Amino acid sequence: MLKPLSSNRWSYETAAHLLNRAGFGGPPSEIEKLAGLKPDGAISALLDYEAIPDNTPNPDWARPDPARMARLRDINQHGTPEEKKAAQQQENKQQNLWVLELRGWWLQRMARGPRPLQEKMVLFWHGHFATSSEKVRETYYMWRQNELFRRLATGNWQQLLTDAGKDPAMLIWLDQAQSNKQHPNENFAREVMELFALGEGHYTEHDIGEGARALTGWSLDRLNQQYVYRAGLHDNGEKTFLGRTGNLDGDDVIAQIVAQPQAARFITAKLWNFFAGQYPTDELNTALAAVFRANGNNFKPLLRVMFGCEEFYAPDIVRNQVKSPVQWLIGSVRMLECDLPPTLVSYGMLRQLGQDLLAPPNVKGWDGGVTWITTNSLLTRYNDADALVQGTLPPLTANDFAKKPGGAGGEKAMKALQRVRMGGVNLDKILTPAERADKDLLVTALEKRLLQASLKGEQELALSDFLNSKIKLTDADIHTAIRLLMCTPEYQVT
Amino acid sequence: MKNEITLQTRREFLRTTVLGSALSWTVPAFLANTLSALQSQAADSATQVVTGKDATILVVLQMAGGNDGINTVVPYASDFYHRARPKIGLTGDKIIKLNDEIGFNGALTGFKSLYDAGNLAVVQGVGYPNPNRSHFRSTEIWQTASDSDRIEKYGWLGRYFDNACAGADPTVGVTIGNQLPEAFFAKLPKGICFSNPQNYRFMSNGTATEESYKKLNELEMSGSAPDGGPGMTPAENSGGSISSLAAGMPMQGGSAVDFISRTALDAQMSSDKVRDIAARVQNQANYPGSQLGNSLKLVAKLIGGGLPTRVYYVSQGGYDTHTNQLGTQQRLLQDLGDSTKAFVDDMKAQGNMGRVLVMTFSEFGRRVNENANGGTDHGAAAPMFIVGNKVKAGMLGRYPSLAPQDLYQGDIKYNVDFRNVYASVLENWLKTKSAPILGKQFELLPLV
Repeated sequence: MLKPLSSNRWSYETAAHLLNRAGFGGPPSEIEKLAGLKPDGAISALLDYEAIPDNTPNPDWARPDPARMARLRDINQHGTPEEKKAAQQQENKQQNLWVLELRGWWLQRMARGPRPLQEKMVLFWHGHFATSSEKVRETYYMWRQNELFRRLATGNWQQLLTDAGKDPAMLIWLDQAQSNKQHPNENFAREVMELFALGEGHYTEHDIGEGARALTGWSLDRLNQQYVYRAGLHDNGEKTFLGRTGNLDGDDVIAQIVAQPQAARFITAKLWNFFAGQYPTDELNTALAAVFRANGNNFKPLLRVMFGCEEFYAPDIVRNQVKSPVQWLIGSVRMLECDLPPTLVSYGMLRQLGQDLLAPPNVKGWDGGVTWITTNSLLTRYNDADALVQGTLPPLTANDFAKKPGGAGGEKAMKALQRVRMGGVNLDKILTPAERADKDLLVTALEKRLLQASLKGEQELALSDFLNSKIKLTDADIHTAIRLLMCTPEYQVT
Repeated sequence: MKNEITLQTRREFLRTTVLGSALSWTVPAFLANTLSALQSQAADSATQVVTGKDATILVVLQMAGGNDGINTVVPYASDFYHRARPKIGLTGDKIIKLNDEIGFNGALTGFKSLYDAGNLAVVQGVGYPNPNRSHFRSTEIWQTASDSDRIEKYGWLGRYFDNACAGADPTVGVTIGNQLPEAFFAKLPKGICFSNPQNYRFMSNGTATEESYKKLNELEMSGSAPDGGPGMTPAENSGGSISSLAAGMPMQGGSAVDFISRTALDAQMSSDKVRDIAARVQNQANYPGSQLGNSLKLVAKLIGGGLPTRVYYVSQGGYDTHTNQLGTQQRLLQDLGDSTKAFVDDMKAQGNMGRVLVMTFSEFGRRVNENANGGTDHGAAAPMFIVGNKVKAGMLGRYPSLAPQDLYQGDIKYNVDFRNVYASVLENWLKTKSAPILGKQFELLPLV
């Protein structure tokens, strides 16, 4: 179990697999760079990202704004109905703009940022803690949580659970901000065990009730937009939670959860699934959990072992993970070395493909795996591929921009879309003159860039047939060939 | 013409090879059935396969935004009503009276004619315990049929598919819209969605491109499949195979590419089928030109064209009437009634009315007292409408009291849990046990 991959297995294909999974993939030049290192070095180049400066500026609204909060509170308490309504409309408009900006800001970091593994982990934690802006509303909180995931991306399990639990977005998302000793709200207490750290069957309903009591006091300072502990809300009575008794508080709850052996097993299995594409066998997960615990429940050493072990490069793991819409989109623009489409388009595509970033369907997040693939999403991927390659607008509808659940706001976004300009793929950048002139070289170059593997014989033939039907290859024909390669089942996996 | 022959040959090939040798391996049962369906269709292209042409169909109609039930089914004789709504309370010809106490909103002329024809039932005061006033959360509660303090992972229709439609064609659930509603979320994902059949296809500007796409996506069965025992039926085979392909499960024998290849094949075929039906079947009623009208128009075509679907899902948005409610709601209800009426006329003309049941829902009703902006704020219970040939037409249950002492935080109290309605529809219309789907046995109502 977990034997390090030997250096003589290190190649363009294995390096591509690492970059595809630990990051979002990349062009041949990036893969070759990793392939030129030893496995340890390649993993370190991705994992020890603190050494790489990331100077992405924060959005200018990404800060607490007590003045705005005070103004809103005053209008809410003392305003006329007209004033309240006007303020609410203004606020909704502002938040919708900001949350779109936040999506673009994050997608750009995934597509072009210098630390792909860190961004991949942010995506993992976003799916894991599955918090939606639809309920949180305040975009600053969504950004803050996103930054929290970035800061603790490969950090410590207990610290992450504690900090995420005390972060404003989570306090709102799972109603902890409304909990008090008279009426302890059980939402966070339940989900932190069921969905975040232990899984069903590893706690009782009694633990939920007691945990909720212990968590009272964790609260939100809405004016200063930060966590606050309110002693007056805390239940000081004795509680028994997961076998521990005393006047427990929220920190004790998290500590007691993390002390369960299951808390390690739960997250190592989920991480392995995220990166390897399927859940580990019991035996493998026991080994992973042992590594995790031996390293003080820190994620970085665990990831180093995961990305370096033979199991991670097994034949049923490599090129056997369904790309999530984000992997599909970000991977495509990285491999094709083209610009990420404008946020309105990128977001519309992701939403239409079923991954509404910052608005997961519910608290359990996206199911992932083969559930990304429906007849509709597959056809949509195939048509979006055309848009990416040609630089045309994808066939989006107002619905793709609609806000859940009412449906307002879509038409406006559609209008804005008419003005959007897309880039498309620059063939000079990704193909040599020789590859553009020779059909066989072209097919090989595209396979190497987009699949890091070969198509099946019949498919290669179909692609060649297409190219051979052209007397002289035009740019448009090559664009179509790229698009066709993206319209295969093979391109939907990584 | 030549292309069609090629295509036919390829499919022929798939039928014999996939159904012949690989069926007993990890072919997801729905695919196996799609292919069986194809096989039967080849013999008789007019026959509705899988569910049979006499299977019942449920059309779920979501009124998104929280419809004000009180101004929809109006307790016009109640003093409390007029006191609570001095500005937006309906009077006189703004009401279509049903009896001495209750009337429809005047815009519901379509519903009135369905009501008179014995095709419409009103379930009064539907809600759930501990109502939630958030659009987001309350919609989720209705979609997943959960208790209000519980998060359910799957939708109620998804659980119906999981429990009762194993092995069915992916078109067993069809949503008109770009995304599956949460109600469709299932352990084994099923159901297709599209808003415009014209977009539900591979788009290209050349036949050569289209031809290449088909070739790239048709012959996709990997040769590495282990031999399975021949002669197993899809049902026997479906046990381990498809669930082993579900998210994150170890995939014993099947690969992600194989799963996608099969879906690609389904996409090609259902896209052809949907577009073919949309182009071929004619509507036999006049629908409003609204989004809802267009959605129901499409549903009618798909039913007429024999798609083996058990559940259709359509929605109409805009009911979040915090301001100037009267005009907005009138427009929406007129559309609702007229679109539904047209759909019923269409079904009757097709001879399919006996197979179809329409059920409306909205995430919540609205506050009894009007607000200062000529609108209403988020509330709780509201009526549901059930339309069909076989419904027990008329008013079901009693109208919740509007007396201030009977309200809960300004909202009327529910007297029917929406899950009683779901259970009744599941058992008496879709003919399946409701308890495994809804988590417990809810009492059945005399609906159909």
